[in-house]
Amino acid sequence: MFNDLTSNESLLPSRRRFLQQSSLGFGSIALASMLNEQQAKGAPATLNPLALRPSLFAPKVKSVIWLFMTGAPSQVDTWDYKPELQKRNGEPLPGSDSKTGFFTTSGKILKSPFDWKQHGESGSWVSSIFPHLSQHVDKMAFIHSMYLKANNHAPASMELMCGDSQPGRPSAGAWLTYGLGTENQNLPSFVVMHERRPRGDDQIWSAGFLPKSFQALTLDARRNGVIDNLSRHTMESAAQQRSSLDLIKEMNQKHAQLRSPQTDLAARINSFELAYRMQTAAPEALDINQESEATKKLYGLDNKTCEVFARQCLTARRLVERGVRFVQIFAGKNAGGDGAVDDVPWDGHNNIETNHRSCGAATDQPAAALLADLAGRGLLDETLVIWGGEFGRTSDSQGSVGRDHNPKGFTIWMAGGGIKGGIHHGATDEFGYKAVEDKVHVNDLHATLLHLLGLDHEKLTYRHNGRDYRLTDLGGRVINEILA
Amino acid sequence: MPVANRAHIFSVSLALIAMALCPLAMAADALPALSPEHLAFFESKIRPVLAEHCYGCHSAQAQEKGKLKAGLFVDSQQGLMSGGETGHALLPGKPLESLLIKVIRHEIKDAEMPPKGKLPESVIADLTKWIEMGAPDPRLAAAPVAKAKRTIDVASGKDWWAFKSLTQPNLPAVKNAAWVHTPVDAFILAKQEAVGLTANNVTSKEKLLRRVTFDLTGLAPTPDERAAFLNDTSAEAYSRLIDRLLDSPKYGERWGRHWLDVVRFAESGGYEFDGFRPGAYHYRDWVIKAMNNDMPYDEFVRMQLAGDQIKPGEYEGASAAGFLVAGPYPGQITAKTVEKIRYDQLDDMVSTIGSGLLGLTMACVRCHDHKFDPLPQRDYYGIAAALATTVHSPSQIDLSYVETQKKLAVHNQIGAPLQAALKKFETEELPKRFDDWKRDQLPKLQSTAPWQVFDIQKATAQSARLITDRDGHVIYTGNKAKDDTYTIKVVTHQKGVRAFRLDALSDPTLPSKGPGLSDNGNFVLGDVKIIAKPLDAKNKTKPVTLKLKAAQVSFEQKNFEFAKTVDNNPNTGWGVAPQMGKDHAAVFAIDGETAGFDGGTEFEIQLRFSNFFGLGRIRLAFNNGSALAQIADTEDMQNLRELRALTDTKTVSSSMTRWFSRFDERAQELTAAVTEHERKRPQPVLTEVYTTKNGGEDVFFLRRGEVDRKEGKASPNFIQVLMRSSDAEKKWVPTPEAKQPAVHPRLSLANWMTDAQAGGGPLLARVIVNRLWRQHFGRGLVPTSNDFGTQGEKPTHPELLDWLASELIKNGWRLKPIHRLILLSSVYTQSGDVNPTTVQRDPENHLWAQRPARRLEAEAIRDTLLQLGGKLDVKMYGPSETNNESGRRSVYLRVKRSELVPFMTMFDAPEPNQSIGDRGNTTVPTQALAVMNSPFVHDLAAQLLNRIMATKPSGTEEIVSRAYEYALGRLPEAQETQRMKAFIEQQTQLHGNKPDSPTLAMREFCHALLCLNEFIYVD
Repeated sequence: MFNDLTSNESLLPSRRRFLQQSSLGFGSIALASMLNEQQAKGAPATLNPLALRPSLFAPKVKSVIWLFMTGAPSQVDTWDYKPELQKRNGEPLPGSDSKTGFFTTSGKILKSPFDWKQHGESGSWVSSIFPHLSQHVDKMAFIHSMYLKANNHAPASMELMCGDSQPGRPSAGAWLTYGLGTENQNLPSFVVMHERRPRGDDQIWSAGFLPKSFQALTLDARRNGVIDNLSRHTMESAAQQRSSLDLIKEMNQKHAQLRSPQTDLAARINSFELAYRMQTAAPEALDINQESEATKKLYGLDNKTCEVFARQCLTARRLVERGVRFVQIFAGKNAGGDGAVDDVPWDGHNNIETNHRSCGAATDQPAAALLADLAGRGLLDETLVIWGGEFGRTSDSQGSVGRDHNPKGFTIWMAGGGIKGGIHHGATDEFGYKAVEDKVHVNDLHATLLHLLGLDHEKLTYRHNGRDYRLTDLGGRVINEILA
Repeated sequence: MPVANRAHIFSVSLALIAMALCPLAMAADALPALSPEHLAFFESKIRPVLAEHCYGCHSAQAQEKGKLKAGLFVDSQQGLMSGGETGHALLPGKPLESLLIKVIRHEIKDAEMPPKGKLPESVIADLTKWIEMGAPDPRLAAAPVAKAKRTIDVASGKDWWAFKSLTQPNLPAVKNAAWVHTPVDAFILAKQEAVGLTANNVTSKEKLLRRVTFDLTGLAPTPDERAAFLNDTSAEAYSRLIDRLLDSPKYGERWGRHWLDVVRFAESGGYEFDGFRPGAYHYRDWVIKAMNNDMPYDEFVRMQLAGDQIKPGEYEGASAAGFLVAGPYPGQITAKTVEKIRYDQLDDMVSTIGSGLLGLTMACVRCHDHKFDPLPQRDYYGIAAALATTVHSPSQIDLSYVETQKKLAVHNQIGAPLQAALKKFETEELPKRFDDWKRDQLPKLQSTAPWQVFDIQKATAQSARLITDRDGHVIYTGNKAKDDTYTIKVVTHQKGVRAFRLDALSDPTLPSKGPGLSDNGNFVLGDVKIIAKPLDAKNKTKPVTLKLKAAQVSFEQKNFEFAKTVDNNPNTGWGVAPQMGKDHAAVFAIDGETAGFDGGTEFEIQLRFSNFFGLGRIRLAFNNGSALAQIADTEDMQNLRELRALTDTKTVSSSMTRWFSRFDERAQELTAAVTEHERKRPQPVLTEVYTTKNGGEDVFFLRRGEVDRKEGKASPNFIQVLMRSSDAEKKWVPTPEAKQPAVHPRLSLANWMTDAQAGGGPLLARVIVNRLWRQHFGRGLVPTSNDFGTQGEKPTHPELLDWLASELIKNGWRLKPIHRLILLSSVYTQSGDVNPTTVQRDPENHLWAQRPARRLEAEAIRDTLLQLGGKLDVKMYGPSETNNESGRRSVYLRVKRSELVPFMTMFDAPEPNQSIGDRGNTTVPTQALAVMNSPFVHDLAAQLLNRIMATKPSGTEEIVSRAYEYALGRLPEAQETQRMKAFIEQQTQLHGNKPDSPTLAMREFCHALLCLNEFIYVD
């Protein structure tokens, strides 16, 4: 895209201004210079912006697919088996703490209403709501000791994605795009899919104070994933558009020649060409009709219960296949009738059994299919799949058979490149109430995520209002125990 | 120790600094001599443990690897004794008070050590024993003396350029004096001459017009304005142009929007439900008006920090204080989250005040002293404490408060004689008249209806205006709101009250005849509360809240059952759909003993309407018969039976007048005169403003910013490094001893902030003139507009910055004179022509020897597209617009935190969560897609063509000319005209040469102009 630039590299503005003004990816430069102390201090970038530079260490994966289980699944009804709960149903919960939860809980143990079995060579326990995912436990590294601070959906979702529960920080997807750019210039690098706007919506996938080039493109399932302004104006043929664009380019080039070199003028000339190509590339990437019937069936597109999530998971695979860096799916709900609110489907305050059964049915098959499909195409080695909600749920009951929010201990799992499969890291107490062993904070999760993509979380920084911000803020430790 | 008394530590910080210089000596003194047993114990039990579990993060080696945590070193005796960021690691002889022991025993939340897991109990016991021994440690000289802790030295912090007093620089001497148009140029030119740069000459009038019109109004110059400026050949043409533009109301819309970036303005709460704030737009309007009126900047700041104190009750003060509460704030709060949210909210205010007003990074000081700038936590919590009683509130504010107050005074003056007449009658005539009536009339009168209608004493509401009539009605007369509480006071001298009856009456004046105030005539009564108080001051019984049962009801709507009025949940309630337009009634029975005190009872009846409209016409009655009255039973006014009850008492009291007035013409007349006058009481014109309210509670220092780690209470203080006098904030915060009248701490903050001699004024002035420069040139003299601290960039022209700041203060803090100084300068008016020497020597244009083209901001792009299409709606102010394609200027589009307008954010409109001083300027393909393909831009291009065609152009050439004039502010060159004609020709053919093909082709030509860099990059 910078072909139009003058070849005199010394005329380029400072790195920081460059990052603020330009944009179309090229994170490798951004990263390279971020990892280089001198350049990070704002010295003029004497680089050809197109040149690829080696990152600090070899990345394990190229892309991330984050399956966000909106509303927060209960750890003790999914992946974190606690026989003590089953034995002591209805008894007072030892260590029950009035500060956990968001509303009020009974203080009495509520057993998991589901059947639990061990699966795979790893013998991992999984509840009966995941008949498909349970076949893939040997690919998954479970972190049972996740915790965070916020205990309501929006702030916790922000904390989980942006590292802080106050709005305004950039999300992990924006940081990654800032750090790495995109492999496919014809597609956005950070894509969010949702069926219902989750609580906190734009604030969860925010670019925060990072340049807007790193913001997410959202595909809303309710609108069939349409990208705004992607189709040509109805009155215009392809030939007419091309001829308009040729005119625009010609006039813009003459305009630039009369002025001092400015990267943004050059970048804008190029952005029209890029946009022109996106018109074709993006619909192609999103067109799941190109998939075989067998593939569609694998994901469950023929199954009303899970077809929305199936479409999103299949789309996610098509996107990472084409070089999209970060895809995040907020699980919506297409099975209903258990009292949970649509924008937080897993939020089983009233009845954990009916709620989780229906949420399981809506997500299990597509998520399992995604793992199988990625593996089958050799893509799982270069993709990281993350499954989890914004927090966990209480081991004591809310009402008689519901569970309240619990940010003090919950499970997420990761699968894919660089991940040790079938292992269980960290633990909650015997009731699954609090993380007690090898506790993992969101910052640690992010540090690990960046590490897998070849980034050092302490070096990926951005200066804003007088401070060098990091995704991991002041914390973060790579969880080496789960790395292959 | 670390938890001890932080506040105390701060108050003696200077002493601590002195002490910090000699920790080694102190520690060594405290230590016992090292015996062989001690040494053996240390080497066998202690050193290996420290080395294995602690050195990884707390040693000189860790520091080398960049892994040092908490500034703590445990690999030397000095390190352990002087401690880390959180204080001393151990106290010899006092293991239980030592931080080291607390963290390894996991007594401190989130500081459990080692992070990988608890040490075995035996090891913990060894370490405890070792500290009991006095912590004998042979590693005295073994490790390098580490500076573990940074102590802020405020005094030397004042040496940083931004914290100094303003200098009064002389104008530098320059060679090319002809280039100097305003003093600004002298500062700029001197630096250019010093390195041999030659600035460009003034640009063409056409370009200058376009530049300054966009700069000051955010819109393109019209062809008429272009003609007028080009035809004005006088020397003052440009100066007059600037005056016209600065006087245009569009100036405030443009520059007000710049300010809204700085103050993270939005109209919703963000977080969970992103609740809309209908009253938030008043702040935006206030900013625009203040800009247009050239309100002095110090007043502008004072009003935003304390408008509600400076102009209490007034619309202007409430609107201005919207600054404080413009930040995000959750809509769903439970007891478990309320405290964290409170401190987050304070943090939002402190950070915005820091970055936005003073260019200081305060946010990180919540958890620890600033790592780089001389900002100790005391400064952060001092400002937080000044904001302690400030909470968010959608308040009902009188639009004409001052007027209303004046009218009230007149009203009270007129009412006084009426009340005096009544009083006179009550004392002089009433007793006799009453005795006569009692003797002659009373025995003949009967009142036996089971329900006695209350003669209402007083009826008020939070929002609605209520009046009462003599037949016991409470009548709504205006200002309904979806959340309201009616408070109605009634009295009785009778006892044995067992039930209350609420009549919700229909009336032709109500929407859909009522009885409710919603458009369909419904209401939802959330909760009902009745408090009984003794009327007689001698009766010391405490007020009781009666326990009510929902006994009977005329009708109840599905899911809005009557019982929901007594469920203690105001969010659920009683409604009557679809039975609107009729009278309804409901009976609340007292659950338990009947009510009524000796000497009379006052009942305060609260009707709470939540999330829905209330009632339009009400009557209230009670029943004190032997059995519970039924809903179908008859009603009668209470007066007669009140009088019977009262005649039992020996003397005739004035309270009888009220009851008696129903039966005595004279009493009725005098009472009516008072009531009638009361009815004319001037009413405020209320409007909802999202502003501040008094509330909140004390602010405490928080360890690491966490609410469950409170330390000492904080008191209002300001930023010490900006203090000029030794007695610090005493000038602004009166101490109790000083016996001065109490000043609201926010007003003190505002006074300190704008004090140009001894307070924050110099920095405040520097920051704002830099913002002006930044908007006029694209980069500030300090390139980091929100950071004037040591991590920000230093000013390229410090003398110019100080000179402008001094000029600002000298001119009474008015911004428009500063604009004028800048806009009339040669540095502003110069061209963007290429000068190879300049490009080579100053590629980043630090010295301003050329003027690069600058892209318009999101708002200017959208507004100008509307303007060219003839669709711009110039209406100013008012509630925000929700239709993103409306013709209103972008500053009036609704700003909802979770649903930002895509076209705006695409072109770098900031996320309104933190103060933004320097907007990004990115170029992304989605922008190109939007201008290439969006129906919005295509439609406006077609409208532009329609406007041109309406002038009946002579042919394609004239169409091309006109379009250039509109969109680019110039006429095309001959070559361009030819190229465009060819393009139109070509597109016509591609359209198939049909009758409408030329029109379609010309639309595409207009559209192409709107896509050009020349259109959105202004020279």
